[in-house]
Amino acid sequence: MRLLKKQQLAAKENLDKRVFLEGAAGTGKTTAAIERIKQLIRSGAPAGSILIIVPQATLAAPYHEALKRARVEGAGSVRAATLGGLAVEMLDLFWPLIAEEVGFARPTQRPHFLSLELAQYYMTRFIQPEIERYDLFNSVRIQPNRLYTQILDNLNKAALVGFPHDQIGARLKSAWAGDVEQAAIYDDAQRAADLFRDLCRQYNLLDFSLQVILFVQFLWRREPPRRYLTRRYRHLIVDNIEEDNPAAHDLIADWLPECDSALLIYDREGGFRRFLGADPDDGYRLKALCEVQLELDNDRVMSEEVAAFRYELGRSLGRRVPAEKPNAADARDAIRFADSRYLPQMLDWTADNVRRLIVDEGVSPKEIVILSALLPDALRFALQTRLSERGITSRTHRPSRALREEPAARALIALAKLAHPHWGMPAEKYDTIFALSAAIHDLDLARARLLVETGYKNNQLIPFAQIADPEIQNRVTFELGGRYERLRAWLARYQAGDPQPLDHFFSALFGDVLAQPGFGFHRSPDAAAATANLIDSAREFRQTVSRIEPDLAVAPEYVKMVDQGVIANLYLRDRDPKLRDAVLITPAYAFLMSNMPVDYQFWLNVGSSSWGQRLYQPLTHPYVLSRGWKPGRIWTDADEYATDQEMVYRIVSGLARRCRKRVYIGFSEIGEQGIEQRGAVLTAVQGMLRRLSREAAGV
Amino acid sequence: MTLPDDFSFSQTSLSDYADCPRRFELKYLLEQRYPAPIVAEQLELEHRIEQGARFHHLIHQHQIGIPPDLLTRHLDDDELLAWFALYLRSGLDDLPQVRYPEIALTVPLGDHALTAKFDLIAVDLGERAVIVDWKTGGRVPRADALAGRMQTVVYRYVLAKGGAHLNGGAPIPPERIEMRYWYAQGGESIRLPYSAAEYARDEAELRRLAAEIAARADFPLTEETRRCAFCIYRALCDRGDRAGSLAEWDGEGESDDLSGFTLDIEQIAEIAF
Ligand code: SF4
Repeated sequence: MRLLKKQQLAAKENLDKRVFLEGAAGTGKTTAAIERIKQLIRSGAPAGSILIIVPQATLAAPYHEALKRARVEGAGSVRAATLGGLAVEMLDLFWPLIAEEVGFARPTQRPHFLSLELAQYYMTRFIQPEIERYDLFNSVRIQPNRLYTQILDNLNKAALVGFPHDQIGARLKSAWAGDVEQAAIYDDAQRAADLFRDLCRQYNLLDFSLQVILFVQFLWRREPPRRYLTRRYRHLIVDNIEEDNPAAHDLIADWLPECDSALLIYDREGGFRRFLGADPDDGYRLKALCEVQLELDNDRVMSEEVAAFRYELGRSLGRRVPAEKPNAADARDAIRFADSRYLPQMLDWTADNVRRLIVDEGVSPKEIVILSALLPDALRFALQTRLSERGITSRTHRPSRALREEPAARALIALAKLAHPHWGMPAEKYDTIFALSAAIHDLDLARARLLVETGYKNNQLIPFAQIADPEIQNRVTFELGGRYERLRAWLARYQAGDPQPLDHFFSALFGDVLAQPGFGFHRSPDAAAATANLIDSAREFRQTVSRIEPDLAVAPEYVKMVDQGVIANLYLRDRDPKLRDAVLITPAYAFLMSNMPVDYQFWLNVGSSSWGQRLYQPLTHPYVLSRGWKPGRIWTDADEYATDQEMVYRIVSGLARRCRKRVYIGFSEIGEQGIEQRGAVLTAVQGMLRRLSREAAGV
Repeated sequence: MTLPDDFSFSQTSLSDYADCPRRFELKYLLEQRYPAPIVAEQLELEHRIEQGARFHHLIHQHQIGIPPDLLTRHLDDDELLAWFALYLRSGLDDLPQVRYPEIALTVPLGDHALTAKFDLIAVDLGERAVIVDWKTGGRVPRADALAGRMQTVVYRYVLAKGGAHLNGGAPIPPERIEMRYWYAQGGESIRLPYSAAEYARDEAELRRLAAEIAARADFPLTEETRRCAFCIYRALCDRGDRAGSLAEWDGEGESDDLSGFTLDIEQIAEIAF
């Protein structure tokens, strides 16, 4: 790999120093870091003494890929971690050392690490009744899950920024100058946060916020745990500091004097994770702690046309850009712009162009990414359908449905209800029809309905032979009847024995029946993946909940929570290796966080106001709850506008910096809601095109 | 499917390959999750796995300096307490003082890599190194059977090949390496010394195996169908509809997860707030 001089200074030299490397995306910072790691190992540093710290796991992907391929001994085993990952590992090991002093009700018992899913469950189980009892949040109209996420998020912000959690409400209110209703919401947010924190202390529950507090404020300040980390990891590579939070910055600032070397990497135009506590300004202070400070400014990704496009778009967004253009290229050559009236036309245009690139121009599908501000299910589904009609394989960072809506998971839940009549939760008739149809290969919904209409009584399936009407048996066919009978008999045998944990029930049902030849899950990777995810979720639920409340009937509680959409509501991870060479469809944010440039990008629906606009979060505020916020300052509409504009610029500029060849910009005049769209990105692109035409015509 | 460039072998993946090439392909190349039970007695197996994991964790905690009384205060499992007491009495007998618990080493293997995750490596600088593997299962195999195990082959080889940095920068000669299996139920210890000849033999065999796997275009199903009773893919392969019984299973129920990350809130940033 040929490195520029400045990259060399970070990669091959200064190996015993603390180096701060800044620059925009695409200037080769991560490349330099990867080379530095190899060089460290070549110079004798054990791979196990190097730690890569990133704000979120996806940002470590370029390291994993490059180091696994590197022809340097041990490079593939260099570890990457997030603050959260380190916190869990350290608490799991050193809990006995701090258990007495951290004020938990059961210090001699092990703590329970709460996933977001379980944190939401405990919100539902213990905090929701309080919310109802005291009529909290009565003016807020959002789904309970989003309410809980924001309550948890406030606790996280307090932990990450480093203020006591009982100041959340006061901080939010102090920046608010509007109606009393919103101020009351902030009071309620404080109350809910207090309730949840008390609950955690009572039951040794460690949500993300407590994991951070106990790690940073307790373990890190004690000699044995701190020594464990600082002796083990002598060389730090800290990437995307701008996307990390103040707690991580504090930790790194503290660690720097104790390590043998460090490379800290800062993207000047990042800060996309603000809503998760990222604080680019706070991260920048780490620069002063490094002996060597380097800047990279040579872009190594964008073509000249794309660089010109980024520059011109910046001008149109009102940015102060250098007077000198980056090159003589015409920005318009970097883009294709389609002006459609309706969304379906824009999607057709997108799918046609993707097909043309792959089939006619021989572009590798993995060099194409389709981006939108948000990625609602309907949009993703419509796009994937169009692509598959054109023979194009695509993948998404998220599934088309929440886990509980995956057909396999739905079928398993319904069959679980059938197998456990003592829960008193009979499966709905339609769910049973659906479950039979999903479970038995070739059994369509019509015949499944026949079976259920005649053979489903008192939450029990009757044997096929006992279906009195021979006409129905004939229509179902004896072959399918035989499969039905095998499934029914398995469920009956199960019922006759002791009930098993739900995850074990799912596993046995899957292996013994549903995945067998003749059944719906046989050789279906999707069904196997959904079943595996459901089993993981049910197991985690059982193992935590049964330890906290041993008398609770865990299995029906789990099913109830799935039905209510509290559990099994998160996305599935895309792990199918066959899909590595597929067109990626993803929200822009997720793409920016994957740190992998591509040749071609499609920006969908640039008229949408969702590009850059903050999500509606009535209970929290990423700026007011940040470290740099001045107490007493009021958050104004002008602030809102300025931060939105800034974010729009950062997103489009960040996307362009991760594009080598061309950007296809799709726009539909009428948006999903049937309303005309005039979002900031659209306005900027149209303004840019008009201006460039005028300039070209010498007007 | 062919082996990706960045593939790293482990003792588990090589054992799986030796048991059944198709299982290797499904598990490591296609990464096909298949959540069927390994054995019929799931609850009992889960209990064993959890007990084993807790025991390993306790030793890890002890090795990094947490006093035993702090560790045992919250233990509610008598069997685990007994194992730990036995470990304190004899599990560390004659072990060098410099200890590396839960350490992973990776070395090149042909065009790919080979990773081993050790329970403990104890080193007497420049003198000797002992690999310890804690076993919580009841069965204590004969030494010659253990010596032939893929785990023994891989662990001793990886330490000899890639353990220099644990030994002040000098490679650890095979003659100075010992692999030790320690059994928590009865405190037995089986010690397997190593030699340059065994190292050369293991290297040749591991390279041969890696090259064979890399060159494979197809991965046939094992002919030893009894193995399928204890394989999660039995339904996929049309090799039966019942998991075998725990009593007949010769696996160990210890997890060998080499992945680095756990799912935490930072990774699920895409959910709607
Ligand atoms: S079921 Fe049998 S043939 Fe299939 S992967 Fe498992 S061991 Fe191999």
